[in-house]
Amino acid sequence: MQTRLPAILRTTAFRQTLLSAALFALSSFVILAFVYAASAGMMLRRADAVVNDEVATLSERFDAGGIRAINRYILQRTVGGGADYLYMLVHPTGRSLSGNLSGLPDTQPDDEGRVQFTYRRPRVVGTEDTEKDDRTARGRIVELPSGYRLFVGIDVDEERTLVDRMFNTILAASALALALGVAGGIFISRRFVRRLDLINDVARSVRSGDLKQRAPRNNTGDELDELSENFNDMLDRVEALMHRMRQTGDSIAHDLRTPLTRMRNRLDEALREDGDLEAREQTLERAISDTDELLGIFNAILSLSRLESGESRKSIQPLDPADIAEDLAELYEPVCEDEGLGFDSEIERGMTMRGDRGLISQALANILDNAVKYTPAGGAVTLRLRKNGEGRAEFSVTDTGPGIPDQDRTRVTQRFVRLDNSRTLPGSGLGLSLVQAIIDVHHGRFELGEGPGVSVDGRGPGLRASMCFPLKPDS
Amino acid sequence: MRILIVEDDREAASYIRKGLRESGHVADHAGDGEEGLEMARAAEYDILVVDRMMPRMDGLTMIETLRNDDDRTPVLILSALGEVDDRVEGLKAGGDDYLVKPYAFAELLARVEALARRRDPETVRTKLVVGDLEMDLLARTVIRGDEEILLQPREFRLLEFLMKHSGQVVTRTMLLEKVWDYHFDPQTNVIDVHISRLRSKIDKPFPRALLHTVRGAGYRLQA
Repeated sequence: MQTRLPAILRTTAFRQTLLSAALFALSSFVILAFVYAASAGMMLRRADAVVNDEVATLSERFDAGGIRAINRYILQRTVGGGADYLYMLVHPTGRSLSGNLSGLPDTQPDDEGRVQFTYRRPRVVGTEDTEKDDRTARGRIVELPSGYRLFVGIDVDEERTLVDRMFNTILAASALALALGVAGGIFISRRFVRRLDLINDVARSVRSGDLKQRAPRNNTGDELDELSENFNDMLDRVEALMHRMRQTGDSIAHDLRTPLTRMRNRLDEALREDGDLEAREQTLERAISDTDELLGIFNAILSLSRLESGESRKSIQPLDPADIAEDLAELYEPVCEDEGLGFDSEIERGMTMRGDRGLISQALANILDNAVKYTPAGGAVTLRLRKNGEGRAEFSVTDTGPGIPDQDRTRVTQRFVRLDNSRTLPGSGLGLSLVQAIIDVHHGRFELGEGPGVSVDGRGPGLRASMCFPLKPDS
Repeated sequence: MRILIVEDDREAASYIRKGLRESGHVADHAGDGEEGLEMARAAEYDILVVDRMMPRMDGLTMIETLRNDDDRTPVLILSALGEVDDRVEGLKAGGDDYLVKPYAFAELLARVEALARRRDPETVRTKLVVGDLEMDLLARTVIRGDEEILLQPREFRLLEFLMKHSGQVVTRTMLLEKVWDYHFDPQTNVIDVHISRLRSKIDKPFPRALLHTVRGAGYRLQA
C-alpha cells in the first residue's frame, strides 16, 4: 500500500479529479461567500434602518419637548426591561441620564456615528439569568444640541450568530467538497490505474519475451478498451513479424548453408587441382556462380524488406498494363521456344492503372520464369492481360506443368518456402514472396489456381498464376 | 585510359585498381569524397569511378560539386543502394552510369569502357558500321554484305546498342538495363536467348562471325 498510494497520487486521473474537486470547492466557496456577504449586508442594513426610524422618532420628541421629553420617552420604554431597543442618554458631563445600558459603547463610531459592539445584556426582571449575557448590538450615537449625547441601538446577536453559523457551514461544505473530490479521485484513479497496470503488466511480459500475452478487454469501447484493442493489434503484428523474422532467419541460415557448402567444396577442390589449369578455372568459375546465386538471394531479401517498408512507393504512376505485358511477352517468347514450349499471349489494351513499371515487370518476369522452369518440354505457356469481371487489370500466366497442390498454394508465397519437387531446381525460394510483396505495394491480389487441366499432356494439371490490380477510377 | 577510383573501402579499391591496370588502364585511388574532389581537379582523368557512401563527403555531393565547376568527366557511380529511386537520384546528381554492389569486375570494366566511348565527340551518326554490317538509323535498315536483314524492333535496338559499343564487352545486365530498361535479373537466361536469335540473323548465313561471347562477362560485337 505504501508504494501503491504515491503511484496513485502520480496518476493523471488522480490529478485531474483533484483539480476538478479543487475547482468545485473553490467555486462553491465563492458562491456561498457571495450569499454570505449579501445576507450579512442585508441584515446590517435592516438593523440600521430600524435604528434610523427610532432616531427619527426621538428627534421629533426632542424638537417638541427637548431633553426632558426624550428622557421621559426612554424611561417609559425601558422600565421593566424587555425593550425592543437599546438606549443611552448621556449628560454633557458624562453622567448617564437614562437607558438600559450601563454606558455609551466605547467602540469608536464610524463617520455616520454607527457602532457595533458587545454589551452585557441587562437583566430582565423576573427572568432567570440563563441566557448568555455578552451579546452583540448595533446602533448609532447622535450628538444633540447643548452637548447631550444619545445612543439608539438594537440587539443583533441572533442575526450575527446566524451569519457566523452560515459562514462556518460554508467553510465546512467547501472542505467537504474538496475531501469528497480527493476521495473520488483516489477511487476513480485506483480503478483507472488498476486497468492501466494490467496493460503495463502485459507490456512488461512482452518486453521480457512473452509475446503471447494480451491486454484484457472489457468491450465497453471506452478509451482504455480502445487502447487495449490497439495494443493487442500491435502485439499481433509484432508477433507475426517476429515469427516471420525468426522463420526467415532460420531459413536464411538453412538455405544459405547448401550453396555455401557447395562453394567451399569447389574452392577446396580448386586448391587440390594442381597442374590441371583448365579444370581449376572451371571449378573457380562455378564457385563464382555459386557466389552470384548467394548474392541473388541477398538482393532478393533486400528488395523484399524495402518493398515491405514502403520505400518503393515513390515511383508509382499511371501506366497501361498492356505495355508491360507486351514487353515481357516479347522477352519470354524466344525463351519458351528455346525450351521447347509453346508460347501464346492475349493482351487487352487501353486500361490505365497506377503502378511502378519496373516492379510489375519484375513480378510478371518472376511468374514467367517459374512457368518456364517448371513446365516440361512440349508444354505451353500463355500470358494474358484482360479487364476481369471485377473491373481490375488481371495478368495471368498459365502453364501445363505439374501445378501446385491446393494445400500448398498459400504457402508458396511465404519466404524461403520451396516445395519438395522444386528443391533440385535453382532458385532462392523468394521469387513468389517478392511477387506477393510487389502486388501488396500496388493493392493488388495474387491468386494461384489450376491450369488448363490434365488432358493436355497427362503430366499435371498445370498452374494458373494471376495478379489483379485496381484500375484508375476514371479509366 | 586514366581512371580515378573514389572509394573508402581500400580492399575494394585495390581490387578494382588491379583489375583496371591488368586491362591496360592507369588507375589512381582516393579514399573519400574530399580527396577525390581534390585529385579530380588536379589532374585530367578520363573516367571517375565513385562510391556513393563515403566519410567526409559522399559521392553524390562530390559529383554535384564537380558538375557545378563545369567538369564533364564521365562518372560511374558504385552503390549498394539499387532501387530505381536511388539510380534516378544518382543520375540526377550528374552520374553517367550506375552500378549496384556487389558486381563482377567484368561488369565494371565493361561499363567504364562504355563510358569512355561516350566521351568521344558524339556527332549525330545516322549510320553504324562494323565490318560488313551496316545499320541505317534513319531508314531503320540493316544490311550485311548485300543482303538486307529483317529485324524486330527490339532486335534492332539490341543490335544498335552492340554496334555503338563495338569492340567493347557488353554485359547481360547492361543489355537488360539499356535495351529493355529492366533493373532486375530474371532467373532464366533471357538475354542469351535473344542474343542467339540475333546471331542467327546477322551471323549464321555468313562465313565470319561478328557477335562473340566473352566468357564470364558478356558479348562483344567486333569485325
